[in-house]
Amino acid sequence: MSTAEIAIPAPTRRPRALGPLATLARRRFQLTARTPRELFVPLLTPIMFALVIAPALKTALHTSASYESFVAIGTVGLLIPLNTMFSGLSVIVDRISGAQPELLTAPIPRGLLVIGNLLVALAITALQVGVLIAVAVARGIHFHATGTGVLWFVAAGVLFTVGMYGLAEILAGRVPRQEEYIARVPAIAILPWFLAGALFPIVALPSFLTWVAKFLPLTHGLALMRYGLLQDSTGLHAIWGLSDPTAMAALSLAVIGGFALLLTAASIRVFSRSAVR
Amino acid sequence: MNAIEVTKLSKTYPGGVAAVKGIDFAVAAGEVFGLLGPNGAGKSTTVGMLTTTIEPSSGSARLAGFDVAEEPLDARRVSSVVFQDPVVDRSLTGRRNLEIHARLWGVEPREAEGWIIELAATFGLADLIDRPAGTYSGGQRRRLEIARALVSHPRVLFLDEPTVGLDPRIRAELLEVIAGLRSRSELTVLLTTHYLEEAERLCDRVAIIHAGRIVALDTPAALLAGLGRQLVELRVDGSVSSALAALRDRGVAGEDAFAVGSRVTVPLHGHSSSEAIAAIHDLGLAGAISAREPTLDDVYLRLTGDSLAAAA
Repeated sequence: MSTAEIAIPAPTRRPRALGPLATLARRRFQLTARTPRELFVPLLTPIMFALVIAPALKTALHTSASYESFVAIGTVGLLIPLNTMFSGLSVIVDRISGAQPELLTAPIPRGLLVIGNLLVALAITALQVGVLIAVAVARGIHFHATGTGVLWFVAAGVLFTVGMYGLAEILAGRVPRQEEYIARVPAIAILPWFLAGALFPIVALPSFLTWVAKFLPLTHGLALMRYGLLQDSTGLHAIWGLSDPTAMAALSLAVIGGFALLLTAASIRVFSRSAVR
Repeated sequence: MNAIEVTKLSKTYPGGVAAVKGIDFAVAAGEVFGLLGPNGAGKSTTVGMLTTTIEPSSGSARLAGFDVAEEPLDARRVSSVVFQDPVVDRSLTGRRNLEIHARLWGVEPREAEGWIIELAATFGLADLIDRPAGTYSGGQRRRLEIARALVSHPRVLFLDEPTVGLDPRIRAELLEVIAGLRSRSELTVLLTTHYLEEAERLCDRVAIIHAGRIVALDTPAALLAGLGRQLVELRVDGSVSSALAALRDRGVAGEDAFAVGSRVTVPLHGHSSSEAIAAIHDLGLAGAISAREPTLDDVYLRLTGDSLAAAA
């Protein structure tokens, strides 16, 4: 090795606006791609629900084939929180043993780090939801989607993912260690799933819990996704009690949109504040 | 314009721990400046404030004219940091680690590509650059981090305890690398360390920091000159203050003689070491006497009452 004697080239230029974001997202994607558990583990439980539990319940409860479709959408409501929480875990890993300290000294707004991670969480979630739907279709589960319906489904999925990722970032910013983070995941990712009408309509819950369910973003997300892919507005009706499905869908979309906006803003704030001691 | 200007900079952490207490210093462009002090002295907190990861409680700091509190993006754009602990993406290659830094600091991809090749060759990483950084040895990873910090052509480079935890061979190798940075007149380096020989070897000027305050700031030579060309060190049985008083009465010790525990250190200004040792024997003071050249540890010891090596 020679002694470092280097002439400094021209001074640094200002980065273009989207360049750093693309760099951060690409970095996160490369790190995730080298951690296969982040890609595949969140898929296991939902696929098991869609392919094993739902058909078993259909047989045991003597329900119709539409119950399989109902549960297949319900499992999307489990997949999204699980995947986003896994993505949040990587934020802690990055902070403790990765290059996050270096990124915090980069000449970019620190919120871009959150947005870069979010973009990758969104892409991976989209891939996983696509796999789940494809597996469900291959298993013989039927959906009745129109072009507009798919848009409702995608909008609900994207906004719910954005909101849940915000929650994961906030949690990652608040807890110092992975163990503490993992201990909180069931309460955030799994408990609401049982209350949000994933396996049965929320009106089957005790009346108090039905009211609680109406305030869960996941309830709105699942109702909207079923409206989109199954043309089934009973979930929306259970929440809003209106007669116009489109109006109810718009209202639920607004709820999820608010959830996404609020938690993204909060996550950027929490991250930026926790980055500075 | 100074590359670094620090004015009355303070940091008190929540809970009331005052880590830095109103320090002032300025570093000229192209200078290698050392912050020397033991763990907990406030060195890393100072670097944290200058790199905008720690919010100052009061005071101000500027990097290349940019206020770190008011213009943090500009301050970060002109600076780079090599952290005390390893900070790399281990699963990514060395090249990718450097590329990410280059992109985030706004270096054009084509320019970065050539510059990365040059840096990899300079820092002995050419054969490793396409391997995951997690497979690098400690010394290789440190060299990668220094190369990464230079990818963005910083005007100010912070090296926060860059040799801590490295074995002696790698440490010597790395000191050579850092010494090589001195040849770059455009680059200002702020180095924190608790290793005296690093400060003496690498730094144009050194600030000795103790308990959050700068207790001395000068060139290593000037700091050492304050203690004369030689000193005598003796261990005393009994009262060290009486021993010091006796040495001063005899004219062997001046006001700058000091004692820590049972050890008395006497800088020699007008006497030879043999004269001083003879006088000490006449006074019947010492069990063990030695004469040697002063080090920065002696400077630190005199200023703070603590041995730097022991405190670190």
